[in-house]
Amino acid sequence: MKFPFPVGKVDFIQGDEAIARAAILAGCRFYAGYPITPASEIFEAMALYMPLIDGVVIQMEDEIASIAAVIGASWAGVKAMTATSGPGFSLMQENIGYAVMTETPIVVVDVQRGGPSTGQPTLPSQGDIMQAIWGTHGDHSLIVLSPSTVQEAFDFTIRAFNLAEKYRTPVILLTDAEVGHMRERIYIPNPEEIEIVNRKLPQNEEEVKLPFGDPHGDLVPPMPIFGKGFKTYVTGLTHDERGRPRTVEREVHERLIRRIVEKIERNKKDIFDYQAYELEDAEIAVVATGIVARSALRAVRMLRDEGIKAGLVKINTIWPFDFDLMERIAEKVEAMYVPEMNLGQLYHLVKEGANGKAPVKLISKIGGEAHTPMEITEFIRRDMK
Amino acid sequence: MQIRFAGIGGQGVVLAGVILGEAAAIEGLKVLQTQDYSSASRGGHSIADVIISEGEIYDLMVTNADVLVALHQLGYETAKPKLKPDGLLIIDTDLVKPDRDYVGAPFTRIAEETTGLALTVNMVALGYLIAKTGVVKPESVEEAIRRRVPKGTEEINIKAFKKGLEVGSK
Repeated sequence: MKFPFPVGKVDFIQGDEAIARAAILAGCRFYAGYPITPASEIFEAMALYMPLIDGVVIQMEDEIASIAAVIGASWAGVKAMTATSGPGFSLMQENIGYAVMTETPIVVVDVQRGGPSTGQPTLPSQGDIMQAIWGTHGDHSLIVLSPSTVQEAFDFTIRAFNLAEKYRTPVILLTDAEVGHMRERIYIPNPEEIEIVNRKLPQNEEEVKLPFGDPHGDLVPPMPIFGKGFKTYVTGLTHDERGRPRTVEREVHERLIRRIVEKIERNKKDIFDYQAYELEDAEIAVVATGIVARSALRAVRMLRDEGIKAGLVKINTIWPFDFDLMERIAEKVEAMYVPEMNLGQLYHLVKEGANGKAPVKLISKIGGEAHTPMEITEFIRRDMK
Repeated sequence: MQIRFAGIGGQGVVLAGVILGEAAAIEGLKVLQTQDYSSASRGGHSIADVIISEGEIYDLMVTNADVLVALHQLGYETAKPKLKPDGLLIIDTDLVKPDRDYVGAPFTRIAEETTGLALTVNMVALGYLIAKTGVVKPESVEEAIRRRVPKGTEEINIKAFKKGLEVGSK
């Protein structure tokens, strides 16, 4: 098929634009949204491209309706996405839970800006890390990815769709105003170069009857989508394997929720992704994600030049989080440092993982500017004295 | 190389940065472009940063500018602390009164005289920058202009760019 932008080519585009193009290459054909800085460019690009490839873009009355439309589209068999920033992301939380409960593959992009409330609309922040994981109510799990470059914004968007389809779950692409608005040189692959995962559909009558069961023993039931001859019942109420509401039986609720959480946890090896730099002989480890990981890598290289054996763990998947990895690193280093653009969120995950095997120090910065490498090295040098 | 364009909203400062960045990308260089502007679409300060390198880029914005292109006094005042002491300051000599050594020309006036449009000032300044630094090839910039400016305005923008090149080469 012909795409409305060049493929198999190098380009120079914003992170937001990269997310829109990746979504289209991943097979997204439905986008519903409500404009908000700094995510509006995703909406604009989708509005430009989708009509040219028989996709649908709708501006809804608010973010609540946007995510509801996206969930509906997914049940109609279409890959669907919405994008927003902090205030809109908060509005979406109830329906993110609905997507978890109904095991609906969707992608939600949060281009973080300074908050709470209207805050700093044009400036980056990492204040939504905990909200991305725990924003919706009730016991749950989902997937949160965090890119730090325009190329990663593209690559991780493709991955977000694939993971959503593979595990029948909402996936949050958590980025920020800096990555969203910066332009970088990126490679947009040909469609043949991209691995695409599509959801399992029921193969027989028996599987149609178990849209919320576990017929394959992999905790991910085939999804009987509407309009393909399947009938099913979809509800946010606690339901049995057939989808029928069963709201007071303890065992039914426990079986459902434990499976939904377990399908993410058991596949952590597949989902969790990170990159290690200079970690083998490191005496101190910096753990960072998103935009801050770039400054952190420069900081690590600067410390190495001074003879300080520093290493970096760049977290690409924020949830599910590999707590054991943090403990293994903590056992080998003298201290761990977590620079982030909030008052301490990733820090708590790292600290829980480190399990007391090494001190974990927060390098916090808020106000709309990422740490400079120098601010990170200065903190570490001062702390080591 | 770290390059910062600084002016006021409406001067096309961000577009100049995007076109320079795209030219570098065309040449296969690593490049990052970011911007900073006030919420006013006209009149407030406007800054575009371009970092071009053969190796990895870690910085997210210009920290130590090798070149500052200032098209307005307000942009100059906002941006000058980031210019290296031995960095190159390029100014619109009609609109910026700097307190240090500089090169430049009356870019806005030249734009008006060349194309009849003051808003092509960004292309004149870009041409001047390329002539003075050689950071990318003029052909790459022309290609980037063709890709980035509104359809039908390619030739007028390239004309302004070439005038800037010429003035800068003198």
